[in-house]
Amino acid sequence: MATETQESTAAPEAKPAGLPQFDFQWWPGQIAWFLIMFLVVLVFVRLFAAPRVGGAIDAREGKISGDIADARRLKDEAEAQAAAAAAETAQARAAAQRLAGDARAKAQAEVAAKLAQEEAKLAEKAGVAEARIAQSRDAAMTHVAGIAAEAAGAIVGKLTGRAATPAELTAARGS
Amino acid sequence: MANQPAIDPMHQFLIHKIVELPTFHVGKLAFDMSITNSVASMIAGAAILILFFILTARREIVPNRGQALAESLYNIIDRVLVGPIIGPEGKPYVPYIFALFLVILVLNLMSVVLAIFNVGGLELTFAVTSQLAVTATLAVLTFFSVFILGFVKHGPKFVTLFAPSGMPWPMLFFMVPIEMISYFVRPVTLAMRLFGNMLGGHVVMSLFGSFVVALGIVALSGGLATLAFIPSALSFTMIVALTGLELVVAILQAFVFAALATVYLNEVVNFGHGH
Repeated sequence: MATETQESTAAPEAKPAGLPQFDFQWWPGQIAWFLIMFLVVLVFVRLFAAPRVGGAIDAREGKISGDIADARRLKDEAEAQAAAAAAETAQARAAAQRLAGDARAKAQAEVAAKLAQEEAKLAEKAGVAEARIAQSRDAAMTHVAGIAAEAAGAIVGKLTGRAATPAELTAARGS
Repeated sequence: MANQPAIDPMHQFLIHKIVELPTFHVGKLAFDMSITNSVASMIAGAAILILFFILTARREIVPNRGQALAESLYNIIDRVLVGPIIGPEGKPYVPYIFALFLVILVLNLMSVVLAIFNVGGLELTFAVTSQLAVTATLAVLTFFSVFILGFVKHGPKFVTLFAPSGMPWPMLFFMVPIEMISYFVRPVTLAMRLFGNMLGGHVVMSLFGSFVVALGIVALSGGLATLAFIPSALSFTMIVALTGLELVVAILQAFVFAALATVYLNEVVNFGHGH
């Protein structure tokens, strides 16, 4: 090392033998300057570059995972709401069906009641009419007996010359 | 032939003073603090790094290009190296590894990218990382920071690092020296790897660059020599391809240095776990 330094200082114009890197006269200065430069960069990186760049990366990852968690939570909420809405719809549909069933049953019952009422009314009217028919027929039948008795009396009178008594006529008709 | 430029690929590594500054003496060592071309490149590299992060280190959720680049660089250290190799305990060391990576990366890239100005004769660029003084400083600094951290964290039992567990004790007479050599050779390999890669790449690029010019000048003399344009053009093609290769090497070597520093740090941070 010492000989190298002496050679290059003694003959600065002469080309140093071998690699210029082994010209040791430049080593202390280069090492000192390099250490200064490296220290400056190290302090800069330690205090500014690394925390800032690393912080930005961490912040981005935090934001992304936070956003994903938010989205997942919102999705769960939406699904829960959809389920609740579906349940409500089902309930409403059931209520509507029950209401419709009730209304139908009530209407049928009303119809049946009215029908029965009308039938009863008709049956009553038919009964009255039948009774009147029977009455008329009975009446007619009694008239028929009278007429027959009269006719029989007249026939008897014509044949026998004497009028038959009503008692005889009645007896005759009964036989 | 006399006016041909000399083919001297080592010329680019020569250091010369730009601004004369006083020399400090510490013991027998003389620290010549003059701004040389090497020092100027270091300062420019630091300035580029600081400017880059001031401009790009924003806190936006949606990054622009600069911020995305800065974050990619940070993620190489944080998510690719320190996270998988050391684990969550490695978080406090990310800034150091990141600074190491950035300094090597910017100095490597500057030496390749700015070399375009050498075409016009402007020697703006200087391959700082092809100076053994610099790579050795980085390697020694990293190695001994980690080594001292081991003793700070684990006390004297950190020396058991050299004695693999589960070994019959007579074997330790062989294993401890081997382990110690393989451990203490690390700063040398760290320094030599970066130095050799940058040196070799720049020498080859410089050689092919010299061929382009030298053969071109020969070709200009006319006659049969005109054929020299063909190898000149081939050399030019080579230099384009080599520039691409050197860009890869520049990034890769910065990554390798940071990765090895992380691996060495891991032995200290996770000392005793699965050792």
